Formats: sequence, C-alpha cells, structure tokens
Amino acid sequence: MPLKWVLQWQPNPGTTVNSQILAEVSQCVEGINGVKEGRWKATLTYYKPILRDQATSSEMPRDFIGMSLPEQPSKYYFTLRTHRIVVESDVSVQNIMEKLQSYRSRVALIFEGFQYQLGDFQLRVGKVVPSHSENLRGIVMEVEYLPISSLEKSRQIMEEFFDIWQEALSKRSLPGHFIHVEPNFSEFGLPDHYTSQHTAVQYATVMAQLIASAQAVSTARN
Amino acid sequence: MKHVEALEILLQGLCGVKKERLRIHELCLKSSPNLGAVPSELRILCDLEQPEPTWTVRHVGGSMRGAGAEQISVLVRPMVESKASKNVLRFFYALGYKLDHELLRVGFAFHFQRSVQITVTVSSVNKMLKLHATDEAVPLTPGMQLVEVTAPATSENYNEVVAAVTSFCEHLAPLLHLSKPGISTGVVPTAAAAAASLMSDGGGTTL
Repeated sequence: MPLKWVLQWQPNPGTTVNSQILAEVSQCVEGINGVKEGRWKATLTYYKPILRDQATSSEMPRDFIGMSLPEQPSKYYFTLRTHRIVVESDVSVQNIMEKLQSYRSRVALIFEGFQYQLGDFQLRVGKVVPSHSENLRGIVMEVEYLPISSLEKSRQIMEEFFDIWQEALSKRSLPGHFIHVEPNFSEFGLPDHYTSQHTAVQYATVMAQLIASAQAVSTARN
Repeated sequence: MKHVEALEILLQGLCGVKKERLRIHELCLKSSPNLGAVPSELRILCDLEQPEPTWTVRHVGGSMRGAGAEQISVLVRPMVESKASKNVLRFFYALGYKLDHELLRVGFAFHFQRSVQITVTVSSVNKMLKLHATDEAVPLTPGMQLVEVTAPATSENYNEVVAAVTSFCEHLAPLLHLSKPGISTGVVPTAAAAAASLMSDGGGTTL
C-alpha cells in the first residue's frame, strides 16, 4: 500500500493548540490546491490492566494502545511502543479482550477531519479530541504518496513535499509547526514496504510525543 | 489406525471434497496471578500447514449449563476467534500472559455445507518434549485419535445447529459414537466390521 507520514502539530512553547489553527491549516491545504474529498476518522484507545494488587502496576505496560483505521475497517491494531510490538488482528479481537477482563479501556481519542487530493498525494487533516468531548488536544496530518510503497525510495520526495508544506504554512505565522517523528520501524519487525501496521506505530509515536509535550507544559506551569 | 483410514474414506464419501491437512500448534496462555478481575485464558493457534504460518487468537467461554443443557447431546459454548499477525504471542506475553501448555494437533479435516456448516477434524494430539519444538512432538495418547464435530451457531439458532450436528453424527455411527467432552463412549461394537467393509472397497459400501 502507499506509504504515509503522520505529522503532528507542535505548538510553540507557552502556546496551546486551538480550532483557529486547525482552520488555518485546512485553508492552507486548499490554498495549495488540495481538493477536499470527504471526511475521515480513526480511533485510538489506551488500555490499562485490571490488577488485584495495585502495587504491581509498575510492571505492566503503560503504553498499550488499540487503534482502528479507516482504510482497514475489518482490522484492529495493537501497539506496545516500549516493547516495540505491533499486532494486526480482526476487529473481533476487541470481543476477546472484553471477555478476558484483564484490560479495560482507559481513555479513547478520535482523530477526524477532511481528506484532500493534491496530485499524487492524499492529505488528511484531523483534530485530536477525546471520544466524549470536543476539547481539542492536538492536530495531526497524514501525507500519503500514492505511487510508492517503499519507505526508503519515497524519502526524498516526502522530504521535499514536507519542506513545501512548511513554507506554505509559515506564511500564516501560526504559533507552531508540524513535526514528523519517524519511528524505527525495523525495531517493530516491520519491513521497508509500507503497511497499516506502520501507520499504527506512527500514531503510537504521535501519542507519546503529545503526552510528553502536555507534561512539559504542565511542568512549566508548576 | 485402520479405523482412522476407514473414517477418512467414509467422510470423503459424505463430503465429496478433498480433506484438508491439519498441523496446528496450539498454545494455551493463562493470565499471571495478579492480572484481571478473574483468571483468564486464551489460545493462540499457529497453522503450520500453510506456506507461511498463520496465527489465530481464540477465546472459548464456559459451556452452557442447566437442565436445558443436559438435554442437549452436544456441547454448546461461546467462542470468539481473531486472525492475528505473527507477533501475537510476544504481545500477550508482554500483557502478562504465560504459557500454560502447548500441543501439536496433526490430522485432517472435512468441511460439510449442509443446512449448517459442519467441520469434522480427526487428529492426534501431541506434546512437545522441548519448548515449541514442533518437530519433536510425541502423541499424548498413542494409537488413539480425537474426532471432533463442530459447527458455528448463534444464540438464536443453536437448537437447529444442535439438531443438524446430532443428525450428522448418525452417519458416523457404524464406526464411532460421538459424545460430549468428558463422557467416554468406548469403541463401537460394529467398528471393526464397518472399517473392514470401508477399506475393502474404498468407500463403495453404503453403511
């Protein structure tokens, strides 16, 4: 399948993300002739263990994520980022997790927004919100290059597109910029040929970054 | 073994489609002592018959209980399965599950599409002498094989499925009697004669 980069909005120090920024980003995509195609939505759930003795909670994974992706409606993806594990399963695995009663959903997030076509690129701009709230927690952007599936072969063109995009956005003088943190996919056992498992790992990395940024803001305030 | 060959001829005759070879590494995982409100277990199945091994996660619930269940001649229990990618065993280990035991099932299966979809598997259950050593497995019950007849059902139609499975099992009656797990039936008196008959003319005999 075509490869994609998942970018996330990095607010400038002392600022937070807001819906005005989201609107400006969307307008910028349309400004560089991105054609709006439709909506997209992905969901991400943090799981936490159910323990009989809470004292042992530090031994259990703290970054256990489950994700559903719009391009794979019959699949579900688990990642354990610290363990460098990603698993692709059928959606029925969620029923299995419920029956096991060993882990439960702690917080669920939604990534949703509009999808745009721009030449050989497909772009998605999305807000990050908790599942039962409109409280904006972040902004993500997916940049998919349709002709190529190889991460290495696509690197140059993706970097060039990223530079063009950053430059277009910089003209709007927004309090932040997009960053791309590429996970070490080989540590997860993933090949150069792109798959939805790569996407799940990118989102797990985005979440780790979002949490780290939120904690940094919280520490700075205190 | 002769009975197994005879059973294969019988099933082939009933099914009309070639048997599917089975070689399944089954790993039974149990939750570590502190994990979960209650202990839990699941099975990871690795199909070794495929060119590239494929993995399935299976959760089997408790069997139906009560007076109604006792009237039914087959075992009814909930089961959920999911295909999974190859990291799934490491994944559950990382979540706090541990290997309780592992088995290798070797045999064959026939799939019947009647009013319901029925699968008959005939397999030897083998244990591994060393961890995950599927090439060095030995039978748990030498000379004996496990015959399982299963069919998927929903909570709405399970009575019809039970009837279909019970009716299907009657086709196998000359060779073997099937029962709920845990209830022994012994060897059927007609088995030897039925097997000989099937073997002698390769399935032309109608039992």
